[in-house]
Amino acid sequence: MAASEPYNEQVRALFENPFHAGDLQGVYPETLTADVSESEHGARLVLYAGIDGGKIAEIRFRAFACPHLVAAAEVVCREAEGGKLSDLPTVKANELMERLSVPVGKTGRMLLIEDAVEKLHAQSGCAG
Amino acid sequence: MSQDLVYLDYAATTPIDLRVVEAMQQCLTGVGAFANPASIHIAGRRAAAMVDSAREQLADLLGAQPARLIWTSGATESDNLAIRGAATARAHRGKHLITMPTEHKAVADTFRALAREGFEVTWLNPDDNGLLSTELLADAIRDETQLVSVMHVNNETGVIQDICAIGELCRSRGVLFHTDAAQSVGKLEVDLRNMPVDLLSLTAHKFYGPQGIGALYIADRPQCSVFPIMFGGGQEQRLRPGTLPVHLVVGAGVAASLAGEEREVDLAHVVALRDRLWAGIAAIPGLTRNGLEADCYPGILNVSVAGVEGESLMLGMEPVCVASGSACNSTSGEPSYVLRSLGRSDVDAQSAVRFSFGKLTTEDDIELAVERYRRSVEHCRSMSPVT
Repeated sequence: MAASEPYNEQVRALFENPFHAGDLQGVYPETLTADVSESEHGARLVLYAGIDGGKIAEIRFRAFACPHLVAAAEVVCREAEGGKLSDLPTVKANELMERLSVPVGKTGRMLLIEDAVEKLHAQSGCAG
Repeated sequence: MSQDLVYLDYAATTPIDLRVVEAMQQCLTGVGAFANPASIHIAGRRAAAMVDSAREQLADLLGAQPARLIWTSGATESDNLAIRGAATARAHRGKHLITMPTEHKAVADTFRALAREGFEVTWLNPDDNGLLSTELLADAIRDETQLVSVMHVNNETGVIQDICAIGELCRSRGVLFHTDAAQSVGKLEVDLRNMPVDLLSLTAHKFYGPQGIGALYIADRPQCSVFPIMFGGGQEQRLRPGTLPVHLVVGAGVAASLAGEEREVDLAHVVALRDRLWAGIAAIPGLTRNGLEADCYPGILNVSVAGVEGESLMLGMEPVCVASGSACNSTSGEPSYVLRSLGRSDVDAQSAVRFSFGKLTTEDDIELAVERYRRSVEHCRSMSPVT
């Protein structure tokens, strides 16, 4: 990707088609929520995981964020949905940044995705 | 303009007028035009004649004497030369300077540099509409004040300051007055015969001329002495050394001449475009217009929208090219300091979009911009947790 092109094709496609954008309020008897934010750029990310039989039946996100973080949230949702709660992937921001060609200057914002998944992990013990 | 994009970032730079390109091409290929205008041989004299002709064209646009214009590389250099040059020339009288936080970085950062070197700088905040109160300025001027710098048209909001009132106040108090007029020259009437301005910065690429060429106007008054900030030659009245780029100077002259002839028509055109754009987006819930209609240059419309992240908003608008705040500041990713000075929150400032347009913009361009902006706002809001 050229330095003058800030978004690769994958980021553009994920940003334009964020199938998992939304929330799950009232859909599942048990829904885990992780709400994280950072002050420097005002970015905020909320993950909603609808739990059914110990599985993540559906997962959604809402983001006040740059296209890279939106794309990262969509990637995590696509890969986590349908899996066991106990198998919720441990997301590493640096791995996502490499996959999505995210500029290093956005590391602070990209850590939100890691924080949000960790929050879901922390709640999963009482959800299973 | 390229068929695959809609360019609405005229406040950053305008597309170059093809008539300017033609003049520059003739200059680059013509006999003698390539020579150094400081050379005394015949080729140099031909080049110097072209430089003089361009200086007269620019002087005509401004209502100034040609000898009062110094060619520079653009408004940033002109600002540096005016502010640093005047401050140092008058430092023996006093070291107090006045400006505003809403100035372009070329001005604001020059004042910050002078502050680090022992000058005292007073920063006057604008009111909620971005305007400077002359009462506030009058109270801030002291016996040791040497220079006031207030821009004519703000590059982010289009807000027009009352330059005449500010200049008259400065003259009455014996203080030099500089204005960065990069956004107004060639677009609004700037007649220095009727404006009490001592120093004025401009650049050609804001009025359909080439990038890399600008000028500093220095009034013909005894108090208006400016020290050079670069050294190495005697060009431009010993104030700006270096070989002049003749083709750029010629391009600036032609652009100035065209601006003088076509300004009124261009102004009416951008008023119509601005009204069409505003009519198309004004009903969007949570929209804020940054800068009032009455006191703004109509070629700039700056809006913020609640609950929407600025970078995502801009990506969703492609292929419409707009700016988030000042283009010069867009790489920082920080909310606009100009909008924060107007009292906007960081979140509102960060969502700001500056539409700016000009004589090559069409109604179809505006219609596409309206459609893309509305769609992008809707897309971002559909993902946003902010209500």
